[in-house]
Amino acid sequence: MFSLFPLLLLAIGTQGSVLTLQSPRFKVTSSTGTQLRTEPISFTQKSSTPVTLSQTDILKLTFQVVDKETGDGVQPHQTFLRFYDGKTGEEGIQPVRVTSGGKAKFELNMAKPPLSLPPTSDTPLHVSLIVGTSTHSPMILSLFDLVVPASHPPPYHPDEASFHPLPEIHHTFRPEQKLPLRPISAIFSLVVIAPWFILLGLWSQVAPRVPYLLSPSIIPFITTLGAFEGLLVWYWVDLKLGEVLLYGGALGVITIFAGKQALSKIGDRRIGRK
Amino acid sequence: MLLFRSLLCAIGLAGVVYAKSSKGDSVLVVVEPKQQDNYSIFFNGLREQGYDITFRAPKAETPAVIEFDAPSFAHVILFAPDTKILAKDLTPQSVVDLLSHNTNVIVALSSKQTAISTLAAEFSLVLPPPGSPLMSYFPERTDPATVVPVPVPASHPMLTPNLPPVWFSGVPHSLGNNPLLVPILRAPSESFAAEIDGGSADALVDAAERGGEGLWAGSQLGLVTGFQTLNGARITWVGGVDIFSDEFANKEVVKGLKSGNEQFVRDISAWTFHESMVLRIDETTHHRVNSTTPLEQYTTNDQIVYEARISSYDPKTTTWVPYSGLKDLQLEFTMLDPHIRTALLPVKGQPGKYSVTFRAPDRHGVFKFVINYKRKGLTYLQSSTTVAVVPPRHDGYPRFLSAAWPYYTGAISTSIAFFLFSAIWLAADSRDQKKGKGHKSE
Repeated sequence: MFSLFPLLLLAIGTQGSVLTLQSPRFKVTSSTGTQLRTEPISFTQKSSTPVTLSQTDILKLTFQVVDKETGDGVQPHQTFLRFYDGKTGEEGIQPVRVTSGGKAKFELNMAKPPLSLPPTSDTPLHVSLIVGTSTHSPMILSLFDLVVPASHPPPYHPDEASFHPLPEIHHTFRPEQKLPLRPISAIFSLVVIAPWFILLGLWSQVAPRVPYLLSPSIIPFITTLGAFEGLLVWYWVDLKLGEVLLYGGALGVITIFAGKQALSKIGDRRIGRK
Repeated sequence: MLLFRSLLCAIGLAGVVYAKSSKGDSVLVVVEPKQQDNYSIFFNGLREQGYDITFRAPKAETPAVIEFDAPSFAHVILFAPDTKILAKDLTPQSVVDLLSHNTNVIVALSSKQTAISTLAAEFSLVLPPPGSPLMSYFPERTDPATVVPVPVPASHPMLTPNLPPVWFSGVPHSLGNNPLLVPILRAPSESFAAEIDGGSADALVDAAERGGEGLWAGSQLGLVTGFQTLNGARITWVGGVDIFSDEFANKEVVKGLKSGNEQFVRDISAWTFHESMVLRIDETTHHRVNSTTPLEQYTTNDQIVYEARISSYDPKTTTWVPYSGLKDLQLEFTMLDPHIRTALLPVKGQPGKYSVTFRAPDRHGVFKFVINYKRKGLTYLQSSTTVAVVPPRHDGYPRFLSAAWPYYTGAISTSIAFFLFSAIWLAADSRDQKKGKGHKSE
């Protein structure tokens, strides 16, 4: 707390003295030394064209910090260049060495970019100069926009992705089974029942007679056989195997007796026992 | 016995209902007794909210923080940033134990190196060298450079919107890329960490040229940073204890405008103590479309409806209210890997209900409905329900396919033919025999 005290006094005592920059200039040179662009920096009228650096270019910045009233050079405590990417919010702070006479020189070699340069994209970096000192009023000066080659994206934590919506995943389903056209199925069904026409045609020639159809010994057996067929259709449509075995078993017992009765009756008739 | 237990349960419930925080209202404050009154606005604010505050000197042994392997307090505030080594049960390891027991912690740091400040590195916070607090010459003011007004983010989910700047005095920290960190207050871009007497201008340049974490400067630095552990405990690291002080709470940022400190520290304690941004999943259900009973197993290609009910904690009424505000909730249907990941959107007109309908994949196996919702600052929502997806049963396949018509007609016509043949054979007159007899007799 005691060490803060003189600072506080200084701050109160020297409010109002204003700093300014003298002859601020920047120069862009290529790696071979040829000068690409050199301009004084104007704070009243910002340069419309951003400063563009390629992979090997060098940016040099020179200025002198002076007291606006006396014109003496001042070495401020804080002389920082701030590189700010407005789109990603990434920021880099680079201190600039200022001599006790207030002269400052800064070099940005894109072949060896300093660690303080933030990860960059294709948006220009906004470069500003922050000058702060306890003896004068602090100031922030907007210098120029800087376009540098895009860097690698900043490294992400492996779990970072789970803190954002993840890409949707859709299951790829097997394609639906292809069925032949219904008319084709219908035509082949007709082919299958075609023999019936021949059979019925021939039967009409033979004209079998069924005089015993309604005889009490025959009709139960025919009925149970029909019931078996019906049971199988029912099985196909609805029933489960257990139910089929149950009903079929019961029906089977009846069929055995009905069949025995019917066949012995036919046997008797054929032998002529009647 | 049963009656006794239900009585205990009811008492427990009543306790939960009357607490301000969703996790209990007992707070231990570790602070030098002499400095206790410096933070009376903050502590009285907590008391008014219904917290039960216990004070303890940094070197005192009682009351113990963890007794019989159970935490004695729901929340702990460590306001002793200058004490080199705290009591035996307040080592860095025991702070980690507290967090694993779901106790929430607020830790204040200072520019001195203490046992607790070394723990910050375990939470991906890198502190500047000892003895280098944050300072800023901006804006021009009569206060020392180490007492910095910091603008508060206008829209931060944790903070009251449009707070005036807060006064800060302490150390900044640079943040690692750990996603469990929740940045709350960042340093102003003109500020930097330097030796307490200011140091020389060249020292700053040298620090930067040294590389690594040479210079602590700019708005990438954090001043107040939260951290939510995977089990849901919250810890907030505050760069300086003065931000809680009465002096800063009453100090004006510009003439006539009081600083935002009082509300700001209440907001961060509300987050840390599980009052704000607390969610929970009440229940999850799943069923087939046009049905309501949840099944143990689904058939491939079934249309499945999955529903979740989510509530948020309302500290004003100390109740859980249905919450439909999540727009980026996702449901995964996984078997080892997610087979389906889809948005789980709130249902209109039914608060707190989120629902999605999707078609089960045509792969059978043991699947899980997984909600794993993690967002910075919010309670992590996790839910997992296991169901089986099976192929259709023998009678579950489609029937009466048009492609099989010829087979159906074939089988049916064979059956009819058999029946007709049997009937005719059984009922027919045996003419041949008669004829044969006739021949013989002739």
